[in-house]
Amino acid sequence: MPGVEEEIKNLVATIIEKDPAEINPDANFFKDLGVDSMMALEILAAIEKKYKISIPEEKLTQLTTLNQTIAVAREYIK
Amino acid sequence: MDKIRVVITGIGVISPNGTGREAFGKAIFEGVSGIRPISLFETTEFKVKTAGEVTSFKPQEFLGDKGLRTLDRSTKLVASATKLAIDDSGLIIHDNNSRSAGISLGSTFGSISSISDFDREALTDGPRYVNPALFPNTVINSPASQVSIKFGIRGFNATISSGSCAGLDAIGYALDQMKLGRAGVVFSGGVEELCLQVFLGYYKSGCLAGLKGPEICAPFDKRRNGIVLGEGACVLVLEELELALSRKARIYAEICGFGASFGSGRLNQAISAALEDSGISPSEIDFISSCANSAKDLDCEEAFAIKKVFGKESSRVFVSAVKSVLGESLSASAAFQVAAAAEAIERQAVYPTVNFEEKDGLCDLNYVVNKAKSCKINKALITASSKSGYNSSLIISRCK
Repeated sequence: MPGVEEEIKNLVATIIEKDPAEINPDANFFKDLGVDSMMALEILAAIEKKYKISIPEEKLTQLTTLNQTIAVAREYIK
Repeated sequence: MDKIRVVITGIGVISPNGTGREAFGKAIFEGVSGIRPISLFETTEFKVKTAGEVTSFKPQEFLGDKGLRTLDRSTKLVASATKLAIDDSGLIIHDNNSRSAGISLGSTFGSISSISDFDREALTDGPRYVNPALFPNTVINSPASQVSIKFGIRGFNATISSGSCAGLDAIGYALDQMKLGRAGVVFSGGVEELCLQVFLGYYKSGCLAGLKGPEICAPFDKRRNGIVLGEGACVLVLEELELALSRKARIYAEICGFGASFGSGRLNQAISAALEDSGISPSEIDFISSCANSAKDLDCEEAFAIKKVFGKESSRVFVSAVKSVLGESLSASAAFQVAAAAEAIERQAVYPTVNFEEKDGLCDLNYVVNKAKSCKINKALITASSKSGYNSSLIISRCK
């Protein structure tokens, strides 16, 4: 069973259309990985759906790297 | 100021019987049908099993691997057809000409399956969990917008939703914009995708062939008993004649004029308006690219409209219905008819209406049936008419 880190990495990889192995967990989504605002919203919605959680929209600005995204998600995953 | 003349310099087709202008032309002239058993959704519960479905469609062949994930079928079809049209025209869109390039697209039911999918997710998983990236697909202007984004087309962007007339209405609108000097190039045509939702609408309305007779698409034939749905996209590159000549572009045909009317049984008014707009008489029309779709009433009404406008000339002018091999692809249909008419002018021959076996005394025109026919074609009329009352007509001619 993949852990939360692996699951979120795969979700992000699908959305940004990259191989999971290509994603440096500290690379900036916007500057380094070509993520746009719609993709960021999609990442947030996909994590919420996967774990049936609600992440406040003000947290969106913190989703700037894979590691930060995983950290934010962990705050809400029980 | 000289009158602005508009010509067709590129044709992009994704159709049930061929991808690309050449394959499409070959298929329609050989009478190859794209109507086949539906594979896009399950039909075991229904009496009707066939449609003009685009099979083996791989949008990545035209659009690359990235950025397709959240696009719906309509958008992928029309973006691919646009790429084919651009390549066919040899036109290069760059910073200096992108503002004078526009889009005018016919699209009517494209968003229905996207709305349905979006709502289904909200209802099954909860409204919090819908995918925001799929929301843009739920509006009808999404395909035209995505084409603009994809190809950097920065002039006007319009979507026209008038069912089977949408392809012609979009070209008519493009023509107006170009004659007003608002665009030098317009990508115009239509798109429609085959989906369960549209199929159900037509099935439950009793409009489909196979419900009251044999499941055949047989325009003007006495055995016709309803339409066979189709799908696809057809995009034309419309260009000012001067621009086309300056870059030595291949010119398929000139757009002479457009006319429209509203109301059941008023197609004759749209034809007359197109003739008047073109400044030509019925005796100059060599060929009619007919909108007949195998519907009991519409085919008859079209024959009546042609006879009313053409009088004695109606026994001379050649008529053929390309929907006999494509099915009724709604917003894409009239654009396919224009591409087919341009191909007829190019080849100086008329493609056949297939499945024509039994004459209907109410539809007695000069049809080219089951086999292509060589003949002189300088000017062609394209008709469009829908059950909901829209009527449109376009005239194209060999460019001299």
